[in-house]
Amino acid sequence: MAKTYKKPEMIGQQVGWCPGCGHGIIQRLIAECCEELGMAEKTIQVVDIACAYWSIDTLNCDGIAGPHGRCAAVATGIKNVYPDSNVYVHAGDGCSYVIGLAETCYAAQRNVPITMIVVNNGVFGMTGGQMCAATTLVGDKTVSSKAGRDADVAGEPFDMLNVIKSYNIAYAARGALYDPKHIDAVKRMLKKGFENQRDKKGFSIIEILSPCPTNWKLSPVDAMKKIKEENEKVFPLKVYVDNGGEING
Amino acid sequence: MAKVRTDSDLCKGCRLCVGACPKNAIEPLKEVNKKGYEIIRVNEELCIGCGQCYKICPDYVFTIE
Repeated sequence: MAKTYKKPEMIGQQVGWCPGCGHGIIQRLIAECCEELGMAEKTIQVVDIACAYWSIDTLNCDGIAGPHGRCAAVATGIKNVYPDSNVYVHAGDGCSYVIGLAETCYAAQRNVPITMIVVNNGVFGMTGGQMCAATTLVGDKTVSSKAGRDADVAGEPFDMLNVIKSYNIAYAARGALYDPKHIDAVKRMLKKGFENQRDKKGFSIIEILSPCPTNWKLSPVDAMKKIKEENEKVFPLKVYVDNGGEING
Repeated sequence: MAKVRTDSDLCKGCRLCVGACPKNAIEPLKEVNKKGYEIIRVNEELCIGCGQCYKICPDYVFTIE
C-alpha cells in the first residue's frame, strides 16, 4: 500500500552543494525523470561551469561542461551528432540569461529538441553572490549591490520566459521548490520536457525558482520563505507555452 | 507499514525536513555527524511514511520503504 521512496540509482555519490541548496532537489528530480522514462542509459548532461558543475561528478551518466554560458550551444552540437540521445542542460540563471543569453535565445529560435533546466536563484552563486542583471530582485543586497539593487542604476529584473515564449518552441514553464507540492509540480514539468525531447517535439525550457541560502545570507528555511513571499511575485509560476499535448504522470 | 531510514552521514543540517513533516515527527538534534553538521532524528511512532521529507531533502538522507 505504502509507496516506496528511494534515492535514484543514477545518483552515485554525495552531492557537494551547500546546506539547503535547491540544486540537490533538482538533480534528484532529473534522475527520477530519466529513470522513470527509461532514458538513463542514453542521457548526456551538459552542465555549466558554476554550481551546476557538481552534478557531473555525482550523476552516473555521460556529461560535458560547456564554457560558461554556452551550454545551450554545446547541447545543440551533441544533439546534432547523437539525435537519439537524451540531452539536457542544467545551468543557472547567470549562465542562461546573462552571459549566455544569445546561446539560449538562438537554441530556442532553432527549436533544437533539447531540455533546458534553468535554476533561478537570483545571484551568481559560485563566484560569490554577485548581482544577476536578469533575476536579482530590486532591493536585494548582494556583494555587487551593497545597498540593495537600485532600479535607477541597474534596472529591474525581467521575466525571460516572456521573451523565450515568443519563439516557436515546444514548452516553457516555471516552477518553484519551496514545498513538496510545488516540487511535485516541477517534476511533472521536467518529465514533460524530457518527453518532448523523446518525441522530437522541440525546445523545452523549465525555469525553477531555487534558494541560495549561502549568498542570500539566510537560513535554508528562511530562504524558502523568501521565494514564496518575494520571488514568486516577480516570477509567476505557470506554464507559458505548451505545444506538446497533455501533461501525464 | 512504511518505515523511514535515515543516513545521517549525508545530512547537512538544513532543517528543511523539520518544517515539511506534516506530523512533526522529525526532531532537530544538537548532535553532529562526522562532517560537523547538526543532524535530525525521526520519531518512528509518529511517522506515516508520506514521503514529504524525501521530497524536500536536497541531500538524499531519507529512504522510505
